[in-house]
Amino acid sequence: MKNLLRKNSEQPGRFAFSGISPGRENQPAIEVKNLTRYYGSFAAVNQINFAINRAEIVAFLGPNGAGKTTTIKMLTGLLRPTSGQALILGYDVLKNLNLIKNLIGYMSQRFSLYPLLTAAENIEFFGGIVGLHPREIRAKIKELAAIISPHFLHQKAQDLPSGIRQEVALFASLLHDPEIIFLDEPTSGVAPERRREFWMKIYELKRRGKTLLVSTHNLDEAEYADRVIIIHEGQIRFQGELAILFCQEGVNTLEEFFRRLSPYGTA
Amino acid sequence: MERLKAVIVKEFIHIRRDPRSLVIIFALPLVMIFIFGHVLSFDLKKIETLIIDLDRSPLSRDLITRFAAAPLYKIYSLENQGHAEKRAAAAQDYLQSAERWLRQGKIKQYLIIPRDFSRRLAANFPSPVAVVIDGADANVATRLYQYNERIFKSFFFPTKSIEMPFEVKIKMFFNPEIASTPFIIPGLVAALMLMISALLTSLSLAREKETGSIELLFISPLRSPDIILGKTIPYLLVALIVGLVIFLFSHFFFGLQVHGSPLVLFLTAVIYILTGLSLGILISTVAPTQKVAMLVALLGTILPSIFLSGFIFPLESLSPALRAFSYLVPATYFLRILRSLTLKGASLRHFLFEASVLLAISLFLLALAIRKFSTLRRASA
Repeated sequence: MKNLLRKNSEQPGRFAFSGISPGRENQPAIEVKNLTRYYGSFAAVNQINFAINRAEIVAFLGPNGAGKTTTIKMLTGLLRPTSGQALILGYDVLKNLNLIKNLIGYMSQRFSLYPLLTAAENIEFFGGIVGLHPREIRAKIKELAAIISPHFLHQKAQDLPSGIRQEVALFASLLHDPEIIFLDEPTSGVAPERRREFWMKIYELKRRGKTLLVSTHNLDEAEYADRVIIIHEGQIRFQGELAILFCQEGVNTLEEFFRRLSPYGTA
Repeated sequence: MERLKAVIVKEFIHIRRDPRSLVIIFALPLVMIFIFGHVLSFDLKKIETLIIDLDRSPLSRDLITRFAAAPLYKIYSLENQGHAEKRAAAAQDYLQSAERWLRQGKIKQYLIIPRDFSRRLAANFPSPVAVVIDGADANVATRLYQYNERIFKSFFFPTKSIEMPFEVKIKMFFNPEIASTPFIIPGLVAALMLMISALLTSLSLAREKETGSIELLFISPLRSPDIILGKTIPYLLVALIVGLVIFLFSHFFFGLQVHGSPLVLFLTAVIYILTGLSLGILISTVAPTQKVAMLVALLGTILPSIFLSGFIFPLESLSPALRAFSYLVPATYFLRILRSLTLKGASLRHFLFEASVLLAISLFLLALAIRKFSTLRRASA
């Protein structure tokens, strides 16, 4: 079995993946063991540990520069940990990069669509690079047209309203039907009333058995998640349900908790 | 294959949507070729020449007219007049002035026709004519020497039948006028084609690094060769069009002629462009930003192409180390092809070596770029 999987990992083709990964039922979707990343002598992420179950939505919270993006980059194989391990469905990310790429979806705040390409062209490109057949791509574009109104389809991504753009970006990151989805600040720059709609999408993904790690610094969004992981100065300060945090720490809001973490900083 | 196609299609759309960069890509070489083509000419024009005529005979005046008739010279002549004593003093004066002007750079050379010039010649005696040339610029001086020689010969030999035991007839092949333009322009074309090709691809990955989109490529199941080739192939077409424009421009403005088969030119140009594109994509994988990539691509192609390709300095005159390096400069090979094709009209079999070397360099650079990209993707320092 192990050999078979290794073989798979060497073939960068699309990994046939339906429902539960064979032999991986008992593995956590995401697991991080003593993960550490230094930039020079600065520890951006310092000895963090957590595990996320399948079909769970976890909000990854922390002020800017706390280490959220660094952690997500190590989980997606974009950044090499200084020490420690990042595992996806029990696979070491670094050792199984090609396999991991088919298991994960990634949408980043920084960049998710090519601004000069239209919505449809972006889907064609991202569909193409994950290896979808042109027929499948056409079907996907039709699917997208049903979600956003069709006249947005042929507008350049840079001209799309931010809510629509984010919708298309999410759609693009899901083209290969990944099991585990990393959303790095997906709602930054999106109007609050659209954020709710966005979270409805995320619930829909959870219903389909997807696991989601959503990083955000909008604290009010934490309520939507099953659990929260709070990172501050490269270390995990809390993980669990929000209600427990409030009881345990004797605070009424997340803002209060963050103010306690860094009295002079901003949360 | 589908993945590669997706990257190629995306790049083409980007090229089409960004016409501003294309304007620069097309305009830059044309402006450069226009400026360099006019400035970088070794042909001498209007050389300030002072002729001091101490003889004042019809014969000496005839010699002066010969010089004046050649478009190469701008003649100032000083004639000695007056009485004998005055004349001797004036001659001294003239010589001093001439030397001063030469030193000041007002004139490039001066000739002295001695007093008994015509008398001696009439009596079938040889007569000296002094020529003093400013040797500060060795290139100009040698050329001047040759030009002067030509005029003296045409002046002396028809007038007096000086018998020569044999006759040397020199014919310059390929470039009968020994004009430098047909020699310079191919060098410029080669340098600019390499520069543009490298510039085109050097920006592509660096741009994605700046916007952050490179992470999406890293994280995608795309293989590194798909990305590198997908980002190189579309620009082959663009660079070919730019190359064609450069050729047409050189043809109409500088009279560049192709004597060999256009097909050979096309094939070798495709390989040469590929070399430039490969160099550019390698630069792009290493450079952190577009600015750095652009600078490296410009300097890294233009400088070696001009100085180490045989464009300006003959390879034979380079030091052994530089000469060894010149064999790594793509323009060295394309320049050989281009000069042969434009001046001699040779055919493909003459260039098999050059074409193979260029192809080998391209493949090596591409492989290096792919490797570099893979490690970049894995390590992400």
